[in-house]
Amino acid sequence: MNRWIVGVGTLLLATALQAGPSTQIAWTEETLEIVESGNPERGQELSQRCASCHGDKGISANPIFPNLAGQLATYLYRQLHDYKDGSRENPMMQAFAAGLSEQDMADLAAFYSRQKPAEPAGKGGDFTAVMALINHGDSKRIIPPCRVCHGEHGQGERIDTPRISGQSQAYLEQTLKAYKNGSRHNDIYSRMRLIAQQLTDAEIERLAAYYAGLAP
Amino acid sequence: MIDTQSRNLALWNWVVAFAAFLVACFLGFYQVVERSGLFDFLESPPAYFASVSTHGVLMAYVLTTFFIMGFGYLTATSSLKRPLWQPGLAWSGFFITLIGTVLAAIPLLAGKASVLYTFYPPIQASALFYIGAALLVVGSWFWCAIMVVMAAQWRRENPGKGMPLAMYATVANALLWLWTSAGVAMEVVFQLIPWALGWNDTLDPGLARTLFAWTLHPIVYFWLIPAYIALYCFVPKEAGGYLFSEEMAKFAFLGLLVFSLPIGFHHLYMDPEQGAGWKLWHGIGTFLVTVPTLVTGFTVLASLEIAGRLGGGRGLFGWIGTLPWRNPVVLAAILALLMLILGGFGGIVNASYALNAMIHNTAWVPGHFHLIFAGTTVILYFAIAYHLWPKITGKKLVSNTLALIQLWTWFVGMTLLSTPWHVLGLLGQPRRISGVTYNSLLTLAWQPYELFMIMGGAVLLGSAVLFGVILWKTWRNTEIETVPEIAYAEPIHPPESLPAWAESLKTWNLAILGLMLLSFGWPIAQFFFLKTFESLPWGY
Amino acid sequence: MHIDPLEKKWLYIALGMVALFLGSIFISLAVGIKPPSNVETIDSARLHLSKEFAEDNLGVHIQPDGRITVIMVAGRYGFFPRHITIPADTPITFRWASVDVLHGVHMPMTNMSTMVVPGYVAEVTTTFPKPGDYPMLCNEYCGLGHDYMWSKVTVVARQTWEKQHSKGGES
Repeated sequence: MNRWIVGVGTLLLATALQAGPSTQIAWTEETLEIVESGNPERGQELSQRCASCHGDKGISANPIFPNLAGQLATYLYRQLHDYKDGSRENPMMQAFAAGLSEQDMADLAAFYSRQKPAEPAGKGGDFTAVMALINHGDSKRIIPPCRVCHGEHGQGERIDTPRISGQSQAYLEQTLKAYKNGSRHNDIYSRMRLIAQQLTDAEIERLAAYYAGLAP
Repeated sequence: MIDTQSRNLALWNWVVAFAAFLVACFLGFYQVVERSGLFDFLESPPAYFASVSTHGVLMAYVLTTFFIMGFGYLTATSSLKRPLWQPGLAWSGFFITLIGTVLAAIPLLAGKASVLYTFYPPIQASALFYIGAALLVVGSWFWCAIMVVMAAQWRRENPGKGMPLAMYATVANALLWLWTSAGVAMEVVFQLIPWALGWNDTLDPGLARTLFAWTLHPIVYFWLIPAYIALYCFVPKEAGGYLFSEEMAKFAFLGLLVFSLPIGFHHLYMDPEQGAGWKLWHGIGTFLVTVPTLVTGFTVLASLEIAGRLGGGRGLFGWIGTLPWRNPVVLAAILALLMLILGGFGGIVNASYALNAMIHNTAWVPGHFHLIFAGTTVILYFAIAYHLWPKITGKKLVSNTLALIQLWTWFVGMTLLSTPWHVLGLLGQPRRISGVTYNSLLTLAWQPYELFMIMGGAVLLGSAVLFGVILWKTWRNTEIETVPEIAYAEPIHPPESLPAWAESLKTWNLAILGLMLLSFGWPIAQFFFLKTFESLPWGY
Repeated sequence: MHIDPLEKKWLYIALGMVALFLGSIFISLAVGIKPPSNVETIDSARLHLSKEFAEDNLGVHIQPDGRITVIMVAGRYGFFPRHITIPADTPITFRWASVDVLHGVHMPMTNMSTMVVPGYVAEVTTTFPKPGDYPMLCNEYCGLGHDYMWSKVTVVARQTWEKQHSKGGES
């Protein structure tokens, strides 16, 4: 029985060290209503502060910044919220988000989600190495196929699963790597981290190229 | 002579029913091939789940509803020997059901309603799908009303007389369907449609599952009763004998009507939103409703034995050989009974409170319901069609031999398809997967069974196409059917009248109302007292 | 009304069969086999913010009285945590909740089976007599990735498990 008590102690210690939830956002009716109340015109005005990095219409000139055009409103809203409360870390974005109200975030999300996603940068090379991952996943590593969540056209899905087509290759690659090393951790229940940890850097590079080249 | 209106109604209802059936068979074959994982180019979850959803809706809702409506019009007019009441209403019902089918088919085929035929929320389909499904049900209520009114009119004009068995069963089925469909109708109208149209943001999946469970089991008896009508009313005569007992037949239908309704929670044994006592109560009901089926098995076998012995059969089993095996109705009945026995045992496992955990939502479940529905029920739909199609088209059945081949191949195909499913279920394969992608020692053992399923699927598809060909060629036949009347089996002793309560619609309905209140009252009301949390819609 | 004596006999046989089936249900109840029926609600949208189903609280726990509980979350398309290790021959209570849609979960060749309905906690207690690697499979259609939704459970001999946990093994 002593062993068991030690076991309990270890578990309690583990509990004390816990890092807290990956995001503070819960997809309740109220949260959805805030996002749906977003005013795209007001969002456009607010977006002028974002334009230097993310472009006038949400298409960035510099590929290390994400394209926001055509991204899901729910996803945009949550990312801004996560920056504001520190669930997602990035000094520049956290500083911007700190000054945003709930309504500002919903308005910005409404504006960018209504823009036309970026045209693909052109198919880059050979994807045979990752097509299996995209279509069938990999059961040895328990990786579900990319397309079952992100869609046949990388278009994302209703609540919170982002559009990944119409995104730059550099940004996709850097995001997957950030999930892989844990520096990005605002995915609920580590869903994306668990997948990214199983991917090799070469696979990440090819996957990013594939979705950057996919017509949205 | 069956009146022209009911002939036309039966004809067009059946054209829709069997067209839906043929499309669904092609989809079914695609599904067994896709899920085998042998053909990489076919693998596509979006196509697979759109196909499974369409297959389920076409088979379970479209084939059955249209078939039953068409059959009911024929039964009512021929057994009561009176013209159809309000043919205009019957045609309205037909068109509303048809419009519902088309409205639901559009999003289904476009992949916008890949929610399977059970459409469990909070996965959300296009609103059109739910509206179509609702119209399909509403259209069928017109049929129920006509059946009930015709029975009541007959009873008023024939006081003290026992209703003809075929009509007694048909009106029991109409009432059963009105009660049964109320659950899913409440779910669709009060929960799903307002939610899919965006009028409500959320719904409670626990309540939705409870309402669906209300419908999910008795609906099986709605599909099965026409098959039982064939067993009781056509088979004894076609076999050359008599019905063993009309009174017991009526009690069997009455038992099915009253006791099949409050048992749906055996589908929810593994659900957290209903308490153990309610599940147990529904479990007890599930076993009680096996009694009418056991009675049916006995009466039909006894009727067959009478026929076999009249045909010269001697000894304990000699009468089996002297049955007219070349009569499609008799052959279908024998094959159906075989599948019913096997499927029935599977059902007892499902319904057993403790065994259920082993096979819940595994491949065992589709194995079971394909044996009972696609086996027992549909093979008797074929038999009814072979028996009545010549009478409604006025043309002679094009080939008796082809009909026999079709029935045998259906039986063989269904055995090949459903046996591996049962085995896979025991080995733990989940139902509703488009392919086996797990990487585990326990799942490796599943592979060889998929091959049998492809063979079964191919045989079934061939059989279904042959069925379509036989009906089409019969319709276009130049030879005229010589026996236009529908003849019902005579009981071996003249039926004595049932007690008044057994003939009274009012008593049945009151009994059902009481049982339903007892079985679903609190389980539904609890959602309004519990602190529940509702779900937003999710895509798929 | 006329009922043939043969029919009467058959009716008694049929009722006897039903009594047998019902008897087996009651016996199974008596030995404590009962499906998840705890009618306990939870806000699935806030699941990750709840105390019990917080990400860091998932997995195997030893309760102060020595009972073993496993807190698990089902979400498209996986079960969290992805891999758990539990002892054989020990009653284990699983507590399940869904973060999104309807899921079902079972482990082949075992009695671990439950539906995971959004808005409700499903609780199921069972014992695993045979050590080994088991898959945990989603058995209700939950979207296009349904086929890919599974995770792993390792059942080890009770002594081995106790040893691992006394050395501060995984939770």
